[in-house]
Amino acid sequence: MKRLALFLFALLLLPCPALAEWTGEEVFTVSDSGGQPLFSLAGHVSVGDEYVSADNVLYRVTSVAGSQAAAERVGDEPMPDVSWLDLGEAQPVFSMAQSPSVPAASKGEGGKADDKKKLIAMYVTHSDESYVPSDGTQSIEGQGGIYDVARSFRDALQGLGVDVILDESTHLPHDSGAYRRSRRTAERLLQKRPDAIIDIHRDGIPDPEQYKAEIDGESASQVRLLVGRGNQNSAVNREFAKEIKAVADKKYPGLIKDIFIGKGNYNQDLSPNAILLEFGTHTLSKERVLNSTDVMAEVVSLALYGDATPSAKAEAGGAQAQTKPAGEKNKRSMSSMILLIVLVIVGVILFALLQTGGGKSAAHKIGRNLSEMTGGLIGRKRDKKE
Amino acid sequence: MSIGMIALLVLSLLILFGVLSRVLDRMALTDRQALIVVAAMFVGGWLPDIPLGLVRLNIGGALIPIIVCVYLLLHAGTAKERIRAIVASCLTAAAVFAVSLLVPADPAAMPWLDPMILYGLAGGAVAWLLGRSRRSAFIAGVLGVTIADVFTGVSLWTRGVRQTVYLGGAGALDAIVIAGVVGVLFCELTGEAMERVSRGRQKQKPVKGGQTA
Repeated sequence: MKRLALFLFALLLLPCPALAEWTGEEVFTVSDSGGQPLFSLAGHVSVGDEYVSADNVLYRVTSVAGSQAAAERVGDEPMPDVSWLDLGEAQPVFSMAQSPSVPAASKGEGGKADDKKKLIAMYVTHSDESYVPSDGTQSIEGQGGIYDVARSFRDALQGLGVDVILDESTHLPHDSGAYRRSRRTAERLLQKRPDAIIDIHRDGIPDPEQYKAEIDGESASQVRLLVGRGNQNSAVNREFAKEIKAVADKKYPGLIKDIFIGKGNYNQDLSPNAILLEFGTHTLSKERVLNSTDVMAEVVSLALYGDATPSAKAEAGGAQAQTKPAGEKNKRSMSSMILLIVLVIVGVILFALLQTGGGKSAAHKIGRNLSEMTGGLIGRKRDKKE
Repeated sequence: MSIGMIALLVLSLLILFGVLSRVLDRMALTDRQALIVVAAMFVGGWLPDIPLGLVRLNIGGALIPIIVCVYLLLHAGTAKERIRAIVASCLTAAAVFAVSLLVPADPAAMPWLDPMILYGLAGGAVAWLLGRSRRSAFIAGVLGVTIADVFTGVSLWTRGVRQTVYLGGAGALDAIVIAGVVGVLFCELTGEAMERVSRGRQKQKPVKGGQTA
């Protein structure tokens, strides 16, 4: 016991120097069945992860060996119809009015929240993330260069008439607990009922060429969209990511690098409109990355609210018919959640029946417990024999 | 609905079915008290945090579990058990801290568990190993994760990073509560088997012995 205590105490002292600077994540390279590299990612790739390439082809990871993974081509990924962009009509695609958490009274006709303020929430889980050419290091203990990107993105969105709450809390250190710490920030932000919640990151792959882009003749950075597949909102979050990519492909081809659908949760279980954006990688100059924030803001604003010009707003009703009914995406999120709760309740009831030895006995126990807990108001009163 | 809320729902149903009666009895809690605690955690999780300098204390996810720990410490059988629970809490904190270092930062790197749950499980497992009773395991699980969170904050503050430490929260069922519940669960599962073995021995050769709390 004493030895164990000493060992654990020694472990407690170990992390102190390790907290000082984050040295980076493992870089995975995923190749297709012919061995051609598809993409690299700093983080983790697991069997079953999916990837939507720049040209909208869906791949699924079939094997992982060390930091090398293989993916099979599944086929063309169906992308949302964004033809409304050509028409200049309003198409509020993913506003929070579709969310089940918003009371029906706050929704406009057809589930649209025209009367509601546009609001986007943002936070930074990996607070230390920085850009080596501009910040001098990939990791700053405190607010890293990624906060400059987040602020620039916020300012650009505000310039488009969108209210933005950027929570500048830090969630250090950059360890496995970072998402646990940022989860509290995300929950606080969600209490403001934003239309979407965005976690701002940068990638950690060493090759800057993989993120370099020319947007409107200007040096810029590509943006990767990351969706967690380990939660009940995964399908809706994926649709949201695809909507952003479809709009970007139309307005600013090459801006969105790809969509990675990974195994993690990334706090995306908290909202159907949650997304993680990777603005470039640490070996890119921050100035290049900042050049992408204006166009990315326009893309996100369009994907969420459509064209915000007054004339287009008036035509919003007509545009509504061009895509799926607004509530459909929400129903998917709700049905996943209800299924999960039903499964949990059924599982618990079965377990309890087994524990109590049968239906009558279980009913007797529930009645007796209800009576005890409600002071005899509900349920069966305790038998005298008991 | 987050995993934490679902876990609270499961806990409520188990209490309602009376499945946890024996466990709660040994933790000096009645079913009614336990259900009130669960309901308070559920509601408290949505209330504003209590600010304590650079620390924010969530009512449902930290304050109520800590109050339960204090209650259990006061109701602990002996001074020895109280000391054991406090020592186990410190060691659980060390273990949780070690886990945060050993586990990769990307949540996807975990083969089957989200790190948030892993923290709770690790805390609960160590709390069970060191606490050696249901009461101590719960106390060590809850206080261990809390101490680890505070330690993370303090280590940052000493290096000039004024980061606010949020205790509890995140859907009312943070690693803090998961660690406490898991600690008790492990104790119940293993303690039950050991008690049966012990009872078997007692039948053969009656001896005086205390019951595991």
